[in-house]
Amino acid sequence: MSIQTSEKSSNRGQTFMRTLRQDHAGLSRIMREIDTQAHRLAEDSEGARAILVDAFRYLLRYHHAFHHPREDRLFARIRARDEALDQTLQQLSHEHETGEQETRRLAEDLARASNKELVGECGAELVDRINDYLRHTRTHMRHEETVFYSRAEQVLSDEDWLDIIADDGPDDPITDIRTMRASYPALARSLDEPTSHLGLHRPEHSSSHELRLQMLALTDLYGGLMHEAIDLTRTHFQRLKSVRDPVSLMRTAGTIYADNLRFAGQCVTRPSRWAINTGAGLIVGWLKPYMKQ
Amino acid sequence: MVSWQTRTAKLLSRLTIRQSLKRELSVADMRERIQAMERFFPNVPDDIRIEHEPGLNHCDAEWLTPGAGPTERVILHLPGGAFMTRFMRAERLLLARMCRATNARGRLVFYRLAPENPYPAGLDDCLEAYQQILDLGTPPEHLVISGMSAGGCLALAVLLKARDLGLPMPAGALLMSPAADMTEESTDGSRVSNAARDAVLSLERGDDIRRLYLGEHIELANHPYISPVLADYTGLPPLFFQVSGSEILLDDSHRCAQRARACGVSAEIEVWDRMPHGWQALSFAPESGRAIARLADFIRERCP
Repeated sequence: MSIQTSEKSSNRGQTFMRTLRQDHAGLSRIMREIDTQAHRLAEDSEGARAILVDAFRYLLRYHHAFHHPREDRLFARIRARDEALDQTLQQLSHEHETGEQETRRLAEDLARASNKELVGECGAELVDRINDYLRHTRTHMRHEETVFYSRAEQVLSDEDWLDIIADDGPDDPITDIRTMRASYPALARSLDEPTSHLGLHRPEHSSSHELRLQMLALTDLYGGLMHEAIDLTRTHFQRLKSVRDPVSLMRTAGTIYADNLRFAGQCVTRPSRWAINTGAGLIVGWLKPYMKQ
Repeated sequence: MVSWQTRTAKLLSRLTIRQSLKRELSVADMRERIQAMERFFPNVPDDIRIEHEPGLNHCDAEWLTPGAGPTERVILHLPGGAFMTRFMRAERLLLARMCRATNARGRLVFYRLAPENPYPAGLDDCLEAYQQILDLGTPPEHLVISGMSAGGCLALAVLLKARDLGLPMPAGALLMSPAADMTEESTDGSRVSNAARDAVLSLERGDDIRRLYLGEHIELANHPYISPVLADYTGLPPLFFQVSGSEILLDDSHRCAQRARACGVSAEIEVWDRMPHGWQALSFAPESGRAIARLADFIRERCP
């Protein structure tokens, strides 16, 4: 009978730990989404704000309301069993509190800010705060995994598990897309998107795009010339090393001189050719609309 | 806004790696130049332990273990380098950073390179590494496979071959700009539209790479293990692509993800604006840290 009870509570312990790990999986998905949207705030403040507000609400309603209390119950038990971890677990519990406060503050500040503010300096400060929040949360998760995830099942007794598991909350809503759509519509829509764009993806004006491409071509051109210069220098050294007598020295000097002259010519003609072609291309591009008229 | 570190790296890549790829350099010269460039990458941090045992039959491989209590997670990482070269230090550092961010152990496989060892030598080595991790008792739900560029192609090939052989599938795959199209028709879309914008890769040597990698099996270019853009993805685990919007390999990721979704496989793509190919390995750039944090999020999602 006692063996059966022990097995049952140990299974419960495993299920409980699995739930905590699963919660971290959901939290990681949300961290990624917050990161995506925070960097879009200046570009599409309305859309990104709606998703971020949903994400912070989700964190407050599930992670801070149920997941962290679960972990805190576990920490308390482990601390009672393993004094060596006392300070670390106290720190982790403290981070739960500060994390909740910052989540609430960010959600409020985001909801309160006007679109104009989100695009300006205030928005940039908010993005910095969100980045800090993401960094702290990810580090916190990592510490939890290294500190107590492996220890819990070693140090806790059946009684401890029964105590910890009692009065458990709901499952993470992120596992059920219908719940997410009903409670956090903007966030759910964004999570469903198979492609995320990171950074600006506004189409560039065609003339500035063209100019940029030409500048890249110019960099390639000079890069090519630089490599040719290096190769030419190497070849010259090889030639000079093989000089045996004054006659071959004269011949080598002549070849080097001719090659250098040819290369100098390339250095002059290639960039000028680029400048003429680019200039003509840009002028035609600018004149095209007028020519059509 | 692209950071100044990434801008500098892009300019330097454009002047060095891209120029090397555009020119008729021998494979030995390319390797020599890459080795010279590698000096700019720092060593793996001290808290990461590197071990070589148990090894693989035909190639070198390393185990990377972070100091802070690793979990059961394992990342099998396959480096890039056009199947012919590799940035060993950069890839090692990349894997070390991923391991640290996820409390995972890392397996870095220096698979055999072409042209000395053409297809299927590299794929066989990667598959052996995959099988070994399973044989060592790692549950497949704690295993993630990752690959950069040519390594991304091999990562997809390992998944496809493992599925065909009836091996268990890992929890997910991270594919950083996979070079997944080796067919001769692979000369349109982003390979053309991004040809000028790509700061690292150049199409000029595409035919050479195909010929050297495939050796006498050149007729196999359309095989799904070589060009995974043509594969049937049924039964594969969730895939996570990171690719830059300005690289010639952009369409490879899109096409793989589309095919995967058509087969009912979850496939997410992140398209990063104006990043150079392989920016995840630029440890000094803030965008690299952000990319790795996002890869780590995906690993935690798939291997809770």
